[in-house]
Amino acid sequence: MSENGGAEPLLELAGRIVDLGRRCGADEVEATVSDGREFSVDVRFGSVESLVEAGSRYLSFRVIKDKRTAHATSSDLQVGTLERLVRNAVDRAMLGSRDECAGLPALSPEKVDVAALRLFDPRVSELQADRKIGLALETERIALEDKRITNSHGASFTSSEVRTVLASSNGFTDSYDQTFCSLSVGLQAGETDEKVEDDWVSVNRFFEDLEPPETVARKAVERTIRQIRPRKVRTQTVPVIFEPGMTDWLVGFLFACVSAVAVYQKTTFLAERLGDRIGNEKITVIDDGLLPKRLGSRPFDSEGVPCRRTAVLENGVLRSFLSNAYAGRKLGLPLTGNSDGGGVGPNNFYLQPGPSTPAEIIASTKKGLILTRTIGHGLNPVTGDLSRGAFGLWVEGGEIAYPVSEVTVAGNLEQVLRQVELVGNDLDFRAPVSGPTIKVAAMTVAGE
Amino acid sequence: MIAFEDHFGMSDAEVTRILDRALSRGGDFAELFLEYRMYDFINMEEDIIKETAESISLGLGIRVISGERTGYGYTSDLSSESIGKTALTAASIAASERTAGNAALSRVQPLEDCCPLTEPAHQASLQEKIELVRRAYLACQGADSKIKKVKALFQDSAQFVVIANSEGSLAVDARPQVKLVCTAVAEKGKRKEFGFSGGGGRVGLEYFGQVCSPERIGREAAEEALLLLDSVEAPAGEMPVVLAPGHAGVLVHEAVGHLLEADFNRKKTSIFWDKLDKRVGSPLLTIYDDPTRPSFRGSYNIDDEGTPPAKTLLIERGVVRSLLQDRLSARLMGLPLTGHGRRQDYACIPLPRMSNTYVAAGQDNPEDIIRSVAKGIYAEKFEGGQVEDSGKFTFSISAGYLIEEGRLTAPIKQATLIGTNIDILQKVDRVGSDLSFGLQTGTCSKEGQEVPVTDGCPTIRISRMTVGGQS
Repeated sequence: MSENGGAEPLLELAGRIVDLGRRCGADEVEATVSDGREFSVDVRFGSVESLVEAGSRYLSFRVIKDKRTAHATSSDLQVGTLERLVRNAVDRAMLGSRDECAGLPALSPEKVDVAALRLFDPRVSELQADRKIGLALETERIALEDKRITNSHGASFTSSEVRTVLASSNGFTDSYDQTFCSLSVGLQAGETDEKVEDDWVSVNRFFEDLEPPETVARKAVERTIRQIRPRKVRTQTVPVIFEPGMTDWLVGFLFACVSAVAVYQKTTFLAERLGDRIGNEKITVIDDGLLPKRLGSRPFDSEGVPCRRTAVLENGVLRSFLSNAYAGRKLGLPLTGNSDGGGVGPNNFYLQPGPSTPAEIIASTKKGLILTRTIGHGLNPVTGDLSRGAFGLWVEGGEIAYPVSEVTVAGNLEQVLRQVELVGNDLDFRAPVSGPTIKVAAMTVAGE
Repeated sequence: MIAFEDHFGMSDAEVTRILDRALSRGGDFAELFLEYRMYDFINMEEDIIKETAESISLGLGIRVISGERTGYGYTSDLSSESIGKTALTAASIAASERTAGNAALSRVQPLEDCCPLTEPAHQASLQEKIELVRRAYLACQGADSKIKKVKALFQDSAQFVVIANSEGSLAVDARPQVKLVCTAVAEKGKRKEFGFSGGGGRVGLEYFGQVCSPERIGREAAEEALLLLDSVEAPAGEMPVVLAPGHAGVLVHEAVGHLLEADFNRKKTSIFWDKLDKRVGSPLLTIYDDPTRPSFRGSYNIDDEGTPPAKTLLIERGVVRSLLQDRLSARLMGLPLTGHGRRQDYACIPLPRMSNTYVAAGQDNPEDIIRSVAKGIYAEKFEGGQVEDSGKFTFSISAGYLIEEGRLTAPIKQATLIGTNIDILQKVDRVGSDLSFGLQTGTCSKEGQEVPVTDGCPTIRISRMTVGGQS
């Protein structure tokens, strides 16, 4: 794939589906084609375990007739199959109910300059398999040099190229191409019945931005060995410091609660809180689809609405919900470019960094828990309650004292956002939903 | 069963030619996995049928194994050119003269059909399915005036697979799947709570008349949300935990099932790798994984590597007896196949997975078990869990009760429980006689691949476990 080279056949396919739907009686039609190529290699103890290479395409579309909606998707792109699916969808739409809010968004006059977003790295598609395998082997080899590491989950390199094509009966037709690559390794330390484990993954759109094997290996080793011989602590309420990867899931939980779909479905505790303070003044959360090279950037959402920057929380005050055309119409809210395959999804959804270094945050803590990993579910957007299995590092007198495992952290999202004392300066956008180190004044840590 | 081989229009000779090509650069084993899957989906909310969807997934995956190395390619383009290219992609893992030969294909026969249904959902009209959704929705909405938001979803699928390999095995399976779920939001003053229920399995629409009515699903979702309106914070800290029968099987799914998946034991990353035939838990615990349970969501006639599955004894009176095997691990470990090689779809390499995992019934009267606890919690509804190879695991409850002086008292809010498997398995000190299974709606995720599963257990007491509440 070369960026935007040869997209015409797929644009034509999407256009044909739109025409066919209209001819079958649909008032509105929207068709998306996704065309991807993926490569992945897993290595373990110096040998290749598995190598996957493939290309795949699928089509998804929706038709709206008389304000009634039907969807379909198919990986079978034979003409006969697609014609049958389109006819079925138009027939099926009539079995649904009339819904005044159904329909495509109006065509926007704005257009994002996709080249400026830098979503595609030609080097990723040119990388030879041997080089990719070599990077994974090298990463694991370096990690295993540390004698405290007792076992390996293996190292992996993955790369993918994806073309997204969208055509709608409102006149929208466009496409964009993206690349991704990742390098990761997972490790264990400790003896059989006292194993500890962790991993590190670097993901980027551009090969040049990927962390080198030395860095990936070093981070995975450090994260693993710092957990050796953990203790369980007593049940208590203490300050909890979230490492950036942990802030990520907290911010992800916030996303679920500010989705306009959840708002109209009343499945979020923030449904009637627009304009309210729900966090302290240190909390500003942004959704931005236009940050060059970032993992969550894209020129337009799955309905063709141009992506943009939206302040969701400004100094603790809830300013916006993130919407698609349906939820936006339903709630009378502006479109934010967050439509994602029938629902809403984040673009780059992040907590703005603050002034503190992670070291200052730890030094400010007399006694508390640095949260380094969590497992399990335990997030309830209806109430904002959260409760998760936790691993971390205990802090005494501003210094890391010992590792902790087999505890849980629990709280309520609004309480947590109100009690953020310090915000770190270490936001690195390593995931589409991300945040820096933060310190929460008090949370329940359950242990012995 | 349906003659779905027609969907692929491929003769035995063509299949053999593809396998030949896959082994053209050497390797010990080649396999072709063909899949055709149809889905229907209906969503009702705000009193209307909001959307319907239809989905088709068609494609094939080709795998070549050479020693411990696996090469895999897949495609949704079934032209002979594309299939040939996919075979060569998989072949690239091996680099030697051809070693294995192709055996002539012969059909693998499943022992029994685990999907004895009479009204296949994929052949029923959409109107019929919409009616089921409506019934669940209305029953939920009508349960109480405090129910403010209802959502009912129906999904059915029919998956047809053909699996052929260079050892001469040719297997086919037809796998229907139905799921009707309902969610409810109840409100009282400023309190807002969520409820969920559902049903289904490898059944047809007759299920909703004979086994579980849509009304029951709707009412159960409403009841959970209503119950939680009066719930108090769950306690925090270590205490006795009584697991309600059914859904609590998620505990053994996480604490035992995953860590007995053969790949983690072959790689010695699982805490169980050196525990075969050793005691890891209470002698009261006997645990099975059974892919052959009729109509169960996690069942199949043939696994995704063409192996007929068998009910597998994992833990016998606290002692590890078997792993869950796929072909790769079974061969490398020199252990027999158990029929647990599963994959999400044609784009995925099969892995050892669970199907229907459960704790066998014990001797105790369930009411006596509750009565035996002075202060603790009764874990009733669950929303899933997670485990890591070291044996640390969690599961989250969405509803439960405090136990005070042997009686269930206040309902409690959601909480996550955490423990280390060998420790918790040893702390199981009462097992009830009332084995039952959780909702037929569960999905298990491993390495990004999702497969349908169920789990079950009788009432169980754990003498101490950490409960992650707030009070």
